[in-house]
Amino acid sequence: MNAPDRYERFVVPEGTKKVSYERDTKIVNAGSFTIEREDHTIGNILRMQLHRDPNVLFAGYKLPHPLQYKIIVRVHTANQSTPTQAYTQAINDLDKELENLKQAFEDEKIRYEERPKQGY
Amino acid sequence: MDRPAAGVSYQRFPRVRIRELKDDYAKFELRDTDASLANALRRVMIAEVPTVAIDLVEIEVNSSVLNDEFIAHRLGLIPLTSAAAMAMRFSRDCDACDGDGSCEYCSVEFHLAARATDSDQTLEVTSNDLRSTDPKVCPVDQARAYQHALGGSEPFDTAAAADQRGILIVKLRRGQELRLRAIARKGIGKDHAKWSPAATVTFMYEPEIRINEELMETLTLDEKRSLVESSPTKVFNIDPNTQQVVVEDPEAYTYDDEVIKKADAMGKPGLIDINAKEDSFIFTVETTGAITAYELIMNAITVLRQKLDAVRLQDDDGDLGELGAHLVGG
Repeated sequence: MNAPDRYERFVVPEGTKKVSYERDTKIVNAGSFTIEREDHTIGNILRMQLHRDPNVLFAGYKLPHPLQYKIIVRVHTANQSTPTQAYTQAINDLDKELENLKQAFEDEKIRYEERPKQGY
Repeated sequence: MDRPAAGVSYQRFPRVRIRELKDDYAKFELRDTDASLANALRRVMIAEVPTVAIDLVEIEVNSSVLNDEFIAHRLGLIPLTSAAAMAMRFSRDCDACDGDGSCEYCSVEFHLAARATDSDQTLEVTSNDLRSTDPKVCPVDQARAYQHALGGSEPFDTAAAADQRGILIVKLRRGQELRLRAIARKGIGKDHAKWSPAATVTFMYEPEIRINEELMETLTLDEKRSLVESSPTKVFNIDPNTQQVVVEDPEAYTYDDEVIKKADAMGKPGLIDINAKEDSFIFTVETTGAITAYELIMNAITVLRQKLDAVRLQDDDGDLGELGAHLVGG
């Protein structure tokens, strides 16, 4: 009866920003990104990629509530960087990694098809 | 502590090895990446790679034993060939038809008309009775039969083409009739499972099994046998010639710890050491036939990249906002 529409889970409502950044008021180089209509798929890869950056002192994400279709990514960095820089870099790195993976798959498919058919 | 300047790349370069690739099945190894990416790929394959499925049904005549919505639901679950889905539009953001979902860019129309003539045989209405208005989109088993009849390039396995009976929708008794119009639309599994192209997508960590040979030699043959038997899956075996315990199939291991417990119980801790390699994954992908397994993998990567692109900071927030705040806040 009062269930939210299914599309609510992935369609960003009009007038809402997909990503918004809010600086922490007490700590320098800390803040949280609120990403609308995303879940663990994006949250977890972003968090893990941020962990690879030594300038990132803290990175975590949460899905505040299963019926609030957003995630909050909190980042705290050292002085050499800022949360926004680290965040952008993480996305760039993941994007390049996936571009690479796609190419790797295409190459491997060609190699696989050339490989003599053998019983595994 | 010395920290690098911002803007240094920490990109990884994953490696892939395909073990098996069929039309609707793939098994491959993914290395040099981490579980978060493997899981993201899995999640995207299941819930976010688009396909086409029947979404709107207008029933003209239905005198069958099943009610209208029951039939509409069954129609929705029929997998349709969706190779074109990536290029199609979602009807909710289609400009050509203002999202009412009835134009060539975002929908495909189907017709079905079946009537059991006056004979004692029940008539089985199947997916083969669905008539599509777009040859690119049709029920998957119809596509197989069609490709088979053409004798042309065959994207799907022909072995199954021998008995094309279609997917049963409803059975009609003498005099009963079913006539309807259906509209298929592009969608994703997150919206409704009928749009999911994945039958199963799983991945496991590659196990690394080490046997302490020195300790193993202190075991009698019977002890070795009971050790091998203790694993619920056939991971180990005894070499008939050397009577040594060998790893027969590491991937059969289900991380159940039974052999390790057994070794401990035998008073030989450390006899067998099993590690999950945290950067190596073995994927199994099976599709419904809507798209091929290879397409599913490639589309998943594309969709994930699109998602990442969508969560980039826009120019009006982010760095400028940070700088502005600094300037104001001093």
